This record gives sequence, structure tokens and C-alpha cells, in this order.
Amino acid sequence: MSEQPKRPAPGAEPAPPAPPAPERRATLVAAEHLAVGYSAAPVLQEVEFQLRAGERIGVLGPNGGGKTTLFRALLGELKPLAGELRVAVRAGTVPQTERSRLDFPVSALDVALMGAIAGRPWWQRPGRRERAAAHAALRRVGLDGLHDRSFGELSGGQRQRVLVARALVQDARVVLLDEPFTGLDNVSTARLEQLLDELAQEGRGVLIATHDVEQARAWDRVLCLNRRQIAFGPPAQTLSLEVLASTYGGSIVTLEERDGERLAILPPHHHHHDH
Amino acid sequence: MFEAFDYPFMQRALVELLLLSLAAGTLGTWIVVRGLAFYSHGVAAAAFPGLVLADGLGFSATLGAFGVALLFALTVGQLAARTSSGHDALTALVLVAALAIGVVLASDVFESGANVETLLFGSLLAIGPDDVRLAALVAVLALLATAVLGQRWLAVGFDPAAARALGIRSPLADLVLLVLIALAAVATLSAVGTLLATALLVVPAATTRLLTKRLLPWQAATVVLAAVEGTAGLWLSFETNAPPGATIAVISGGLFALVALGRAAAGALAHARARKVAVA
Amino acid sequence: MDVLTDPFSAGIMQRALLEILILGAVGGALGCWIVLAELSYGAESLAHGMFPGLVIAALAGIPLLLGGAIGIVVAALAVALAGRIPGIGRDNAVAVVVTTLFGLGVLLALSPDVPPGIQGLLFGDILGTSKRDLIAGAALAAALLVALRLMHWRLLAVGFDRTSARSLGASPLLADAVLLVLMAGAVLVAVQGLGNLLVVAVLVAPAAAARLLCRRLLPMMAAAVAIAVVAGIAGLYLSYYAKVAAGASVAGLMVAAYLLARLGALAANVTART
Repeated sequence: MSEQPKRPAPGAEPAPPAPPAPERRATLVAAEHLAVGYSAAPVLQEVEFQLRAGERIGVLGPNGGGKTTLFRALLGELKPLAGELRVAVRAGTVPQTERSRLDFPVSALDVALMGAIAGRPWWQRPGRRERAAAHAALRRVGLDGLHDRSFGELSGGQRQRVLVARALVQDARVVLLDEPFTGLDNVSTARLEQLLDELAQEGRGVLIATHDVEQARAWDRVLCLNRRQIAFGPPAQTLSLEVLASTYGGSIVTLEERDGERLAILPPHHHHHDH
Repeated sequence: MFEAFDYPFMQRALVELLLLSLAAGTLGTWIVVRGLAFYSHGVAAAAFPGLVLADGLGFSATLGAFGVALLFALTVGQLAARTSSGHDALTALVLVAALAIGVVLASDVFESGANVETLLFGSLLAIGPDDVRLAALVAVLALLATAVLGQRWLAVGFDPAAARALGIRSPLADLVLLVLIALAAVATLSAVGTLLATALLVVPAATTRLLTKRLLPWQAATVVLAAVEGTAGLWLSFETNAPPGATIAVISGGLFALVALGRAAAGALAHARARKVAVA
Repeated sequence: MDVLTDPFSAGIMQRALLEILILGAVGGALGCWIVLAELSYGAESLAHGMFPGLVIAALAGIPLLLGGAIGIVVAALAVALAGRIPGIGRDNAVAVVVTTLFGLGVLLALSPDVPPGIQGLLFGDILGTSKRDLIAGAALAAALLVALRLMHWRLLAVGFDRTSARSLGASPLLADAVLLVLMAGAVLVAVQGLGNLLVVAVLVAPAAAARLLCRRLLPMMAAAVAIAVVAGIAGLYLSYYAKVAAGASVAGLMVAAYLLARLGALAANVTART
């Protein structure tokens, strides 16, 4: 995997001084005419977008619209059926935690340490340096005192943050989050949003699959998928009513004037996983 | 060649096997649909200590075996039917505990000695008139229950989540299936033994599954196949002196392999022909 | 001489004790993965499926370990092949293969020209462990434990979350294959002592018990090994003093240990609630 030239000093400092203009930042992910699927028939096609360092992209779409499929392609689990997908650096994933085994006998620290596997030769176990990195990552996501807690005993928001810590240990420059806010209360949501902002400020690219259109408005760009790409661009210009209607099909409920003047769209909330 | 069946005990064994085929054939399809193969193996093996106990204390073997098998059906089986995971360790543990208890009882308490092999793998001489009656009873029950509850069993086997959403899944129907399998396993014990009950309960149904997907033809074919394999196994057992459980297992397993290979070959042939047509 | 040391004055019992240590270490440690990955049926199947290999080895006079190894490879291949047949489901395919192979073994073992002794293969002969068996078993056990330690983090990542393991550099396919090979090795080590039918006891019971008692994998492994060894030694005492079959009493006490742990967990739950 060839690293593209990095942006100088991807800030460990809390607020990096004036990041370079978006078009000058390194492109971490680029898709061109991409089609992916599980057999010959694509589940998702005509995908064309770029993720640059320091960007947060909200991935919107209905269940079965191809969000998870796109993520699997980004992780290298699915090969493109057509077109091109370039992922310049290592991608880390924050899956939905109800998919992992909550009864598995591991601590938060163990889970964070799993991020160190790829960086070590296969015969070596994670050593002192990796342990220190895992502790630092847990501190970074605000779970300092909980490293010894069983993963299954943590709250939903804490589990998401442990998995973010795992991506940090992995030093993933692209972080994929699959509906990370599902089931979180307001405090946990705010905390995770803050953490994602910080990841972006460090120069990582962040892709977030979400159901919440309102939330996605705060991010840098949105990618709307419904078996093909509907739209891609800054939320203010992109999230028009037509785009949302073709993203979610006929099954949307519009609530005007919620939270002031914004148009709120509530996509249907059945929690089936697409694939 | 068929003078084997001139002997009265062989005639009785044949009748027993044909009745068992009827029961095991219909239930076998449900076992395959519902993924209860390990359960069937477990419930038959669990009957082993019951058999030894009955043998040693001199009460009805059927009663002893069915008592233990019923216990197994009500505990482990319920778990197996209800949850999708976590029960397999439990099944394995109960199974191995039953075998260990059975061995200790057989070899050290009652000193049944050579009898153990009969209990484990069946015997032509062990089949009595009571066994034939039991097999007839189980066959009738299996057919009746299939007629009444078949649709429910099928719906749950096809898609448990959808069936639950439709309100079809009833614990009672599942329990009836589990108890029936236990009963069928007990009925097969004298002929094929506790360790090879799956030779009649699972293998024929899995073999015919390769040939048809429609339920009624599948069940009919399974009954016929089980009868044929059972009869051939009896004859081979008579000729070789090996326990009938072992001969039936080998014959039905060999047939399964042949059918699977045949289907694979037919598939490859059809593929090649299609390609030739495409080229031409 | 007292009650505790008396049984182990004879060479037979000393070798049986060493055998218990070996199979306890392997069964307990690997059993944790078998229980966590829900491979109990697989372990049981491999043990049954290798039976023809054991019988042929016993008939031909070659070492049981060799015959068992060949038998287990054949069984694993047959299970893998049958599992690929569409439409009948993995569990059913496994049942077909195991029933056939087991029946074949019985057919071979019980044909009239064969000397009696099938029960030794079925239920093990822990008191008949020879020095050569011990050395071979110890070597295999050491190799298995080293492999388990090397693969620990990859197995952990795959077991924890299969779908994201690949992105962490841990291939699920490789982990499955490694686990299958290790499980086959553990069955081989333990089958000498416990036989075909009881081997699954040491591979499942101690680990299932330890799972109820521990909340981390490494302590769970340590506890499983300890439970296996203690229950195994208790089984040897039971067999010595009560004069019951050794393999069966070892296996029986391992399951009893599981029941005890289950009761203990239940009691702890009740006291925690009140």
C-alpha cells in the first residue's frame, strides 16, 4: 500500500493553526464509476467521491441502500465490479457493536490492543509499546479509568469509543463508522460527535454512515446512496428535498419547522442491517 | 441369497425396520429442516444410561430409555430449539456425561460386559415383540403429528424470525417435535443402538434432500429409502455378524456419497453442455 | 503410605497421572476456544469420525496416534466436502459423515475375526498409557500450546468480531483453519486417555465451567486447565478406590465440575440480588 505524501504534522495539538485549503489536502479515498456487489449484479453503482484528509463525510441512505456494502469495499472485503476505488492509507472500522460478541471475555484494553495486530510480525504478541499506545488511545477517547472493564459491560457510547480507540491504535488515517449514534443518548452522542471532530482535525478522514440527516448537516460533505449514488457535496447545497426524496424513496416523513426553520426529515427507522 | 429372512427373528427385525422407516422417514425430514441433527444424536446417546439401568435392574428397557430421553428433550432440546447458539456445548456435555455414567453402570455396577456393545450399536437378536409394537406406535404418531403440525414446523424451519412475527411459532408444536424425535430415537435403539440412531433418523432424509426440494415427495422418498437401506443393512448384518447399526450406517452413508457425487457430476455435465451450446 | 499417595505408587498410575496433566493442559486451554467459537459439535464429530482410523491402527498394529491422525484428516476432509453440498445445511452434513465413519469403524471392529477390545478404543484406556504414548502426547501438546500462544491475538480479534477482524490484519479464514487443526491435534492427544466417545468431555466441560467463573480469556484458560487437571486426578482416585472405569470417571467428574460451577454461578447470582 503506497502512502501518499502526508500533510506536514497532522496535529497532535488540540487546535491546529489554519488547515490548508481543502483542495490542497491529501486525497485519502477516491472512487470513480465504482460498482460493488456480492455476485455479478451490483448492489451499489455509479459511486464517485473523494475523501480528503481532515474531512468528515456523512453517508446517508435507506437500509439496503448500500452503505454497508460501500464500507466493505473500502475495507477491501469486496472487490469493485466496475470502476476504480483507491484507498491510499490504512482504513480502520468502527462497526455496530451489537454485531460483536458482547459476552466475549475481553476488556476494553484487550479490544483496543486488537488494533496493534497488523503492525506486529505474526509471531510477536503486543508488547509494552503497544500497551502504552492502547492506554493512550483509551485516554484520548475519555475512557481512562475503564480500561479494565469488560467490553460487554460498557454503555453503548463507551463501546463506540473503545472501537474508536482501536482505530487509533491501528493508526487508521481513514475511519469508517457504521451508524455509530444508533441507540445513544444525547450526552453520548455529543461526546462522540466531538471525538469525530477531533479525529478530523488531526488530519484523518472520517466516513460516518447515519440515519440522521440533521446531524449530517454539521459535517463537511454528505454522500447520498440508494443503490446508486444520488448526490455528493457540501450538505448545505446537497441536501435538497429532491435529493432526500430520491435517497429515501417515498418513505420519508417531513416535519417542517422542527428546531427553528430547518426542514427535518425522518427516514424510516427499522433497524435491519443491510448485509 | 434371501434365506436370511426365513428365520423368525429376521422376519421380526424386518417388520421392525419397515415400521421404523415410516417413523424415521417422516421425522427425518423435519430433523433436517430444523437443523436438529446434533439433538437427535444427543437424545439417542442420552438414552444409554437408561438402557443400562433398565437392563441391570430388570425393568422395561423402553421405559428406562424413554425416561432419560424425555428428560433430555425437555432440558437441552428446548434450549436447542429456542436459541441459535450456546446450546451445543451443553448438548455435548450431557451426551458425554450420559456415556460416562452408562459405562460406569455397565462395567462396574451391573457388570453387563459384552452387553454394552449391543446397547451401543444394536443387535438383531435384541429386537423383541415389544419393540415392534413401539415402532408401530411411533410410526402412527409421527404420521399424525406431521399431518396436524407439519405446516407450523415447516414455517419455523424456513424462517424462524418471520414465523415468530406471524405468530406461528408455538412452543408446544416444537415440544411435540422434540418429544417425537426422542420417542423415535428410543424406538430405533434395539435395532441400531444408541450411537448410530442418526443412521436412520438423519442420513436417509439428507440423501433424498439432494434429489427433491418439495416436501411430500421428499418425505415419501425418505421413507422408501430408509426401508431399502434398513433391509439391506439387516441382510448384511446377518451375513457378517456385525451389528445392524453399523451396517445400516455404512450402507446409507455410502449411498449418500454416491448421490452427492452423481449430482455433482450431473451438474458438471449440464454446465459443459450449456457451454457447448453457447459456443455453437 | 497414605490415602493420597498410595494410588500413585505403581508405574501404571504414575503414567496415568502424567497423561492427565498433558490432556488437561491441552484440553483446558484449547477448550476455551472451542466453547467460545461454539465448536463443540465439531470436536465431537472429529472424535467420532476418526474411529475407523483408530480401529485400523489397532488391527494393523501401528501406533494409535498415527492411525488417529490419518482418521482425523479423512474425517475433516469429508466434513469439509459434505459441508459444501448446497441445500442440506452444515449440521446435517456433519451428522451424515460422522454416522457413516463411525459405523464403518464399528463394522471393522466388530467383525468376527477381530479380537475383543473395542471398548478400549471407545472409552479410552488411561491406565494403559505407555511411555512412548506419553512422550508423543507431550510433544504434540507442547506444539499445540505454542501455536495457541502465537495465534492468540488473531484468534481473539476474529472471535470478538468476525466482520472487522480482516481490517485489523487478522484473517477469519486463517483463524478458522488454525482452530480446526489445533482442535484435531487436541482430540488426538486426549483420545488415548479418554477414547473416542469421552474425549469431548475434556475439550468442553472444563472450559465451559471456567467460562462461568472468569471474565477474561487468560484467567479462563488457566482456570480451565486447573479444573481439567483436578477433576482428572480426582477421577483417577475414584477409579482406584471405587474400582470403576478410569476414563469414564475422569470424564464424569469433568462434567460434574461444570455442574458445580453452574450451581456456584447461580448461587452467586442469587446472593448478589438479595
